[in-house]
Amino acid sequence: MNQPRYATINLKGKRVLVTGGTGSIGGHLVERLVMECQAEVRVLIRNFARASRVARFPIQMVPGDIVDPSAVHQAMEGCDIVFHLAYGSSKETTQGTKNVLKAALEHKLERVVHVSTISVYGQTADGDLDESALRKYSGESYADSKLKAEKLAFHYFRKYGVPVSIIQPTIVYGPFIGSWTVRIINQLKNERVILPEEAKEGLCNAVYVDDVVEAMLLVATRDKAVGEAFLISAEEPVTWWEFYAAYEQILGTKSVIFASQSDLADLNRQYKREHGTIHQVLTTFRRIDVLLWITQLPAVARFIRLTEGIIPRSWWQHLKNTIILHGSTRQSGPLVSEEKPLRLLTDAQNREFKARTRVRIDKAKRLLGYQPRFDLEEGMRLTEIWAKYANLV
Amino acid sequence: MLALVENSKSLKESTMMTSSEIAPLKLGIVGCGAAAEQGHIPAAVVSDKVELAVLVDTNIARANKLADRFSVPRVAEDYKEIFGQADAAIVALPHALHAPISIDFLNRGIHVLVEKPMAPSTAECDRMITAARQSGATLAVGLVRRFRYIDQFIKALFDSGFLGKIESFDLREGNIYNWPIASDFYFRKEMACGGVLMDTGAHALDTLLWWFGDYESFDYFDDNMGGIEADCQIHLKMKNSVRGFVDLSRIRNLRNTIIIKSEKATVEVHVHRFQISIQPKGLHKKIVGDVVESYGAEWKARSVKDLFTAQLEDWVEAIQNGGQPLVPGEEARKSVELIEACYQNRKLLELPWQRCKTV
Repeated sequence: MNQPRYATINLKGKRVLVTGGTGSIGGHLVERLVMECQAEVRVLIRNFARASRVARFPIQMVPGDIVDPSAVHQAMEGCDIVFHLAYGSSKETTQGTKNVLKAALEHKLERVVHVSTISVYGQTADGDLDESALRKYSGESYADSKLKAEKLAFHYFRKYGVPVSIIQPTIVYGPFIGSWTVRIINQLKNERVILPEEAKEGLCNAVYVDDVVEAMLLVATRDKAVGEAFLISAEEPVTWWEFYAAYEQILGTKSVIFASQSDLADLNRQYKREHGTIHQVLTTFRRIDVLLWITQLPAVARFIRLTEGIIPRSWWQHLKNTIILHGSTRQSGPLVSEEKPLRLLTDAQNREFKARTRVRIDKAKRLLGYQPRFDLEEGMRLTEIWAKYANLV
Repeated sequence: MLALVENSKSLKESTMMTSSEIAPLKLGIVGCGAAAEQGHIPAAVVSDKVELAVLVDTNIARANKLADRFSVPRVAEDYKEIFGQADAAIVALPHALHAPISIDFLNRGIHVLVEKPMAPSTAECDRMITAARQSGATLAVGLVRRFRYIDQFIKALFDSGFLGKIESFDLREGNIYNWPIASDFYFRKEMACGGVLMDTGAHALDTLLWWFGDYESFDYFDDNMGGIEADCQIHLKMKNSVRGFVDLSRIRNLRNTIIIKSEKATVEVHVHRFQISIQPKGLHKKIVGDVVESYGAEWKARSVKDLFTAQLEDWVEAIQNGGQPLVPGEEARKSVELIEACYQNRKLLELPWQRCKTV
């Protein structure tokens, strides 16, 4: 079966720098830039161990870290367009973005595509969301650093006229995508995943990775994109239930458990009781493998030999029974676990799964001619083929 | 039985005597990347058969760092500096440099243990073999998996006919790349001369050709789009009519085992861990474990560290006794020949999610 097609965007003769090109979205972007747009692509590479995917293409690989201003400046030499996807710790994200914007100003680039996120809007209200919504800090470090980075990008546009275009993707999924594909598949495989009852109606603004890459290419080439930010999602959101169910179908398992808010609160209380710090330490010591390892440490072994002579044998037996045997049969450590562990929700996740925010992509459609080609069914069809190939299923 | 043990003991003592009379071989290690750091240098340091005299790397800071850590007396920036300083050299350089530098050593009578792949092409392998033959230097290739007891056991088991006729094999080896690379040569086409096939494939194909003999035909697919491949798949038919499939990857976590089906059993060999399982046909039970070798009355397993020591000492023994090392150039050339043939007949791996279908 053939994939949905986009109109060809020609970047022949353009020299393009990609930061974050070794990442999961970056890999898809590099592929299209090289193979379809025929651009001359340069990728800034911090860690060559992650370069296997992009090394498949005829690109220029430049060693360097995004937080190093001179490395970024050098990498951008002679470039026309930069796609800035790299992020890291809070400091790396903002420092890296500043370096990219500064180098773009110095080298007079014709376009800076800054990849932001829907998270810059913080916790979103139910109903329609578009780019006119207020950006706000949420206290979550990734989201807050991305908001700071976005503000920097706008600042360089307004103050220095750097031709910045920003995209704000929503929930990106698809082949190679860590957060919303690999992570979810692994969770559903290895854990019992709890969702709030409300997730049956809560909206997931999922977007297939190829549509996001298409949006990046559009903002890089449309004049109207300069100085603008665009929310990028699929045509319509799906429910979180549908999103998780699509992965369950790929895996052929049912791992999601829906729970009411009062059940969730009970579970959280129970979890805290069972997984407090002291409990955690005790549990670790009760695991047979850990205990055996400890008893083999020379100093400990000497101590045990010493005390064995002093403490009556029957006491020792009792101690072993209570700590090792009793402990190991009661606790659900990896050695004795029969049931998949339960994954509880954080408050932020609980809110996200409940929210009924509907992301509008009208601005991207109007100014860029953006038209998402993938609905959940088509996106998951390709995701499934990949996941099987990648030995995840 | 007792007499036998006694005999082997005295035999061991007598060999120990002879080996202690021979001065340790002066060794240089050329290329201070991850393979040297984690395999060759630690092995050379613990072995009493060699004296690690010098470390060579164009990145002299790197050489100095390792020399400090392992107390190696000298470092050099250029491999030519060690010509007079070392009797033997381990060449652990980017693939493109294996042949030219090995040949330079061999021509001067310096013995060479070269990392796998022996060289990127059979033409270069042949020049290396000829150079060794002409000067009388001993050339060995670092196909270290041949020193695994498990792999040796499997080879013996197949040859014995114990498992009946071998029918098929299925090898899947891949990890989302995490080898601690000290330089970027692995991903540069001109230095690496290939991707996962040239690298992981050198080990994997060597094992298969060793166990099952020469191949008759193959179909090769990879995902290279003008750089070097991250994934490749080979369908193989061997001359003894065994059929097999090989799947190698740098971007997928695969099962990392070879499953061999025979008339009488299914054997699964882990390629990284020391683990083998044998399940007789029709039985829902299997044995799982490691392979050990007898040392007189003792039975010993081999660790990864032991493999590099065994490889080094096998080569040194061949040098000192004039015999063949376990993996001479002629043996290692076989996998290079297949790798070369694969690249020459490559077809594009079908990746349905990828947008661009042509190179």
